[in-house]
Amino acid sequence: MSSKHNGVFKQIIVLLLALLGALLVGALFLILAKSDPIKAYGVMFSGPLGDKFGITETLVRTVPLLLVGLGIVISFRSGIINIGAEGQILAGAIGATAVGTSLSDVPAMILLPAVFVAGGACGAIWGGIAGWLKARLSVNEILSTVMLNQIALQLYLFLIRGPLIDPKEVSYGTGVPQTALIPEQIWLSRLVPGTRIHSGLIFALVLAVLVYIFLWKTSRGYRLRAVGAGSEAARYAGIKVEWYLVLAMAMAGGMAGLAGVVEVTGVHHRSLEGLSAGYGFSGIVAALFGRLHPLGTIPASILFGALLVGADMMQRAVNIPAAMIMVIQGLVVLFVVSSDYFLRNPDSIVKLKAKFLGQKWIGEVGSKWKDS
Amino acid sequence: MEGFMSIDIFIIILATGVRLATPFLLAALGEMFVQRSGVYNLGVEGIMMMGAFAGFFATLQQGSPLLGIIVSLAIGALMGLIMAFVSVTFKAEQGISGIGLYMFGWGLSGLLFRLYVGGVTSIDGLKPIAIPMLSDIPLIGQVLFNHNVLVYTAFLLVPLSGIILYKTSWGLNVRAVGNKPEAADTLGVSVVKIRYQCLIVGGMLAALAGAFLTIGQANMYADNITAGRGFIAIALVYFGRWSPWGILLGSLLFSMADSFQSMVQVLGINFPYELAVILPYMVTIIALAISYGRVWAPAALGKPYERGTRG
Amino acid sequence: MKKKVLSLILAALTILAFSGCAAKPATETTPQKTDAEKIRIALVLPATVDDMAWGQSMVEGLKAVQKNMGEDKVEVAISEKLGNAVDAGAAIRQYATQGYEIIFAHGSQYQSVLNDIAKDFPKTTFAYGTGFATQPNIFAYDPQAQEGGYLLGILAAKMTKSGVVGIVGPVESGDAVKYNYGVQQGVAKGKADVQTRIAYTGSFNDIVGAGNLAKTQMSAGADIITGSSQQAVGAVRAIGETKGNYWLSTDMDQSSIAPDHVLASQVYHWEKVVNKIIDLRKQGTLGGQHLTLTLADGTIEFKYNEKLADKVPAEVKAAVETAKQEIISGKLKVELPKK
Repeated sequence: MSSKHNGVFKQIIVLLLALLGALLVGALFLILAKSDPIKAYGVMFSGPLGDKFGITETLVRTVPLLLVGLGIVISFRSGIINIGAEGQILAGAIGATAVGTSLSDVPAMILLPAVFVAGGACGAIWGGIAGWLKARLSVNEILSTVMLNQIALQLYLFLIRGPLIDPKEVSYGTGVPQTALIPEQIWLSRLVPGTRIHSGLIFALVLAVLVYIFLWKTSRGYRLRAVGAGSEAARYAGIKVEWYLVLAMAMAGGMAGLAGVVEVTGVHHRSLEGLSAGYGFSGIVAALFGRLHPLGTIPASILFGALLVGADMMQRAVNIPAAMIMVIQGLVVLFVVSSDYFLRNPDSIVKLKAKFLGQKWIGEVGSKWKDS
Repeated sequence: MEGFMSIDIFIIILATGVRLATPFLLAALGEMFVQRSGVYNLGVEGIMMMGAFAGFFATLQQGSPLLGIIVSLAIGALMGLIMAFVSVTFKAEQGISGIGLYMFGWGLSGLLFRLYVGGVTSIDGLKPIAIPMLSDIPLIGQVLFNHNVLVYTAFLLVPLSGIILYKTSWGLNVRAVGNKPEAADTLGVSVVKIRYQCLIVGGMLAALAGAFLTIGQANMYADNITAGRGFIAIALVYFGRWSPWGILLGSLLFSMADSFQSMVQVLGINFPYELAVILPYMVTIIALAISYGRVWAPAALGKPYERGTRG
Repeated sequence: MKKKVLSLILAALTILAFSGCAAKPATETTPQKTDAEKIRIALVLPATVDDMAWGQSMVEGLKAVQKNMGEDKVEVAISEKLGNAVDAGAAIRQYATQGYEIIFAHGSQYQSVLNDIAKDFPKTTFAYGTGFATQPNIFAYDPQAQEGGYLLGILAAKMTKSGVVGIVGPVESGDAVKYNYGVQQGVAKGKADVQTRIAYTGSFNDIVGAGNLAKTQMSAGADIITGSSQQAVGAVRAIGETKGNYWLSTDMDQSSIAPDHVLASQVYHWEKVVNKIIDLRKQGTLGGQHLTLTLADGTIEFKYNEKLADKVPAEVKAAVETAKQEIISGKLKVELPKK
């Protein structure tokens, strides 16, 4: 076996061990909740990958995760910690819905692209605000994106209960906060009949390739990454750092906005309450699992989508509180991200062994680290 | 609209603002130490939820809010330790581990609640303590000196954190580790140890912020009780530019704006309430935007420390 | 490095896929045959089963049905915390696939996903609410929250000493608006110079925020307060700490949170709605009806807290009762807001 194969083999082992570790700790909680861990995990893995329903549902989650993840890749690569995707998704969704419902007579050939452009633009503006605040007014992006998430949520709720509410909701007196349905001609086609997987998946995959080309094959992408690698150095090299910060955030927001658009055109066919569904955060995890690489984010989004679907199915199969889902997801994230260490430092396993055998674990970690 | 902006209303707004600022202040001061040492912990929200549950549960079981505080501090330390283990020892990407911790904390607190409590259950939480003499001072007496013990603790922690950070050798070490870890290391300061300590302290304060919500305000527990406050606390650390007084300013600004908008809604000024609800968020962004100036940040923030080789 | 990682993740996925194929799928792909006697009911909730509001009231309704008909006659399965309609859609479809006959999607946000799924399961009955739009196998249910709100409003107007009634709302939409509008009309009817002050937290589940808003309401003069959705329990608790203030609850009786402060409640009797749907299904009606919950058909009940009932003067009770009879007889129609 060549050394390269050996490396890949080792990486798989490490990843699997990390998953196993997370599942073992999770099993303790499952036992605490008086359910059978083996049965629960059986469902968690077989559910999302075992049949047509599970696979397509996984891919339904993959689409927004991937799109948000691509935006995260762009923003993190340019050195911006963007946690504003939740708000950007909502901005994109409402922009798309507004155009889709108000121009319902326009043929799909024109309307569908218009809806995508509108949604992407709304997301881009929402993200761009954070970029502009950072570039021009030195407002930290974590602060601005956290605040903008809340602002977007309230504005979104205002729009779907007020100006954009489905007129039928008013005439029937139910007043449910949701917009009218977008015209049927712009609903994304279903890839597999009888399931929810829609052509947004293809769109997202194509976009992943485009983002890859942009970041690694164009000079703009190169400069954007240069800004991320070190803004002072980039400035010396004559790059307009401020401009690229705004560009990066606008692109990131645009991607998240497109995630909102595909959720509207592919799944819900309207804007409603709870549309962002936490994808703004799980998209960050997907992007970072994908090593902040557009193509790496594809399998990472599938993996994370499977985790979302599988854990949720567990609730029904073994009758555990829904909170258990979050526990398992959190554990998987923590273990997998920790296991990364062993991939970066191949000799660390040996050291770790020595440490385990040598000293008391936590108390000594600090001082021992320096000596080793 | 009778007497809108009368002195009574004004005092209510201020007193409510002081109370609302407490969880932000506690969690943000903790996160300040964490970030000063060069780590950013996005898991504050999850730690707060665990602290909220722990404080609630201990109070429910033993009838003692004080015990609730102690238990939540212990749970917070444990959560901080997990974060330290993952992001310092294993040098994991901090954004991702923080989100992992957030999910874990949210899930676990909800799970434990369902397994051991279940249903809406009330507790007798902390009572306001009017400080003799001081609470009788006209106007500010009610604003400042008639709160529960955690409110006082939070505000006392502001100068205390300032002293610890700027006047003690430990504080010096924390700042050194966050700014120039290599230099600190050369001088014999253990980067890892300091970061562990800061994450544990940060975890304890975040948990205390959570406990304040259950035993100091709501006197009950419900799923997702923090409702995003942990993320706002993180944002306020940036608002405060990593200084205790700046964080105090940010927490008060945000909370006063929140308290003000509630009162405006209650007094029935007629406009979409969403505009009122987003006021604190807008004010915070705008305040930071117009006060922009030299930006300083802990230089090693977010970078796991790799000894020797590459900087 | 990049390639390595990529191949690594792909390999891991392959392994997962294989393990998936090896393990026996827990869910059958064809609807299970069950004995004709047993009805299988599934419930999908946006919040939790123990929220002391919208979700819990439905859970208790289902449990009551199960108790009356016998545990061996009714099977109930519940999935909670599915505020996101995508996950809810997966749960609903899975229940339908597993052969559940009646599926309650207990949230207004589920209308779109139901429409999508119901087409593929023409023999399954779906129900959701609040809503009005139906399909041949979808029932929509719609509590007339304004009716009980109106009665509570009259009670509040006649009981307040300060002349201010406060509302702690979640988000200004749907049932909350209907309910609040009913309360406002009731207050105006009850006593002309009593004010109703509405404020919103902007969140359905922030109990701490609701508690604080209730405190602000009280400090600004309100002594009778009400509000809807699961955030409201925080407000109930905040009022429970005070003296001389009262809370009026909706969706379910919340007096267990503050026994000395919850004066009266509007209670939804989901049991009757569930029974009606079961009966309709037995008669061959799988859906297509817009079912309202009203005082007239007993699905909405106006209820005093027994512990505090003697605090309400007889003439106040009489006024509330008169209004109730007028609503039931159709003489009085509580209006809904028109935008």
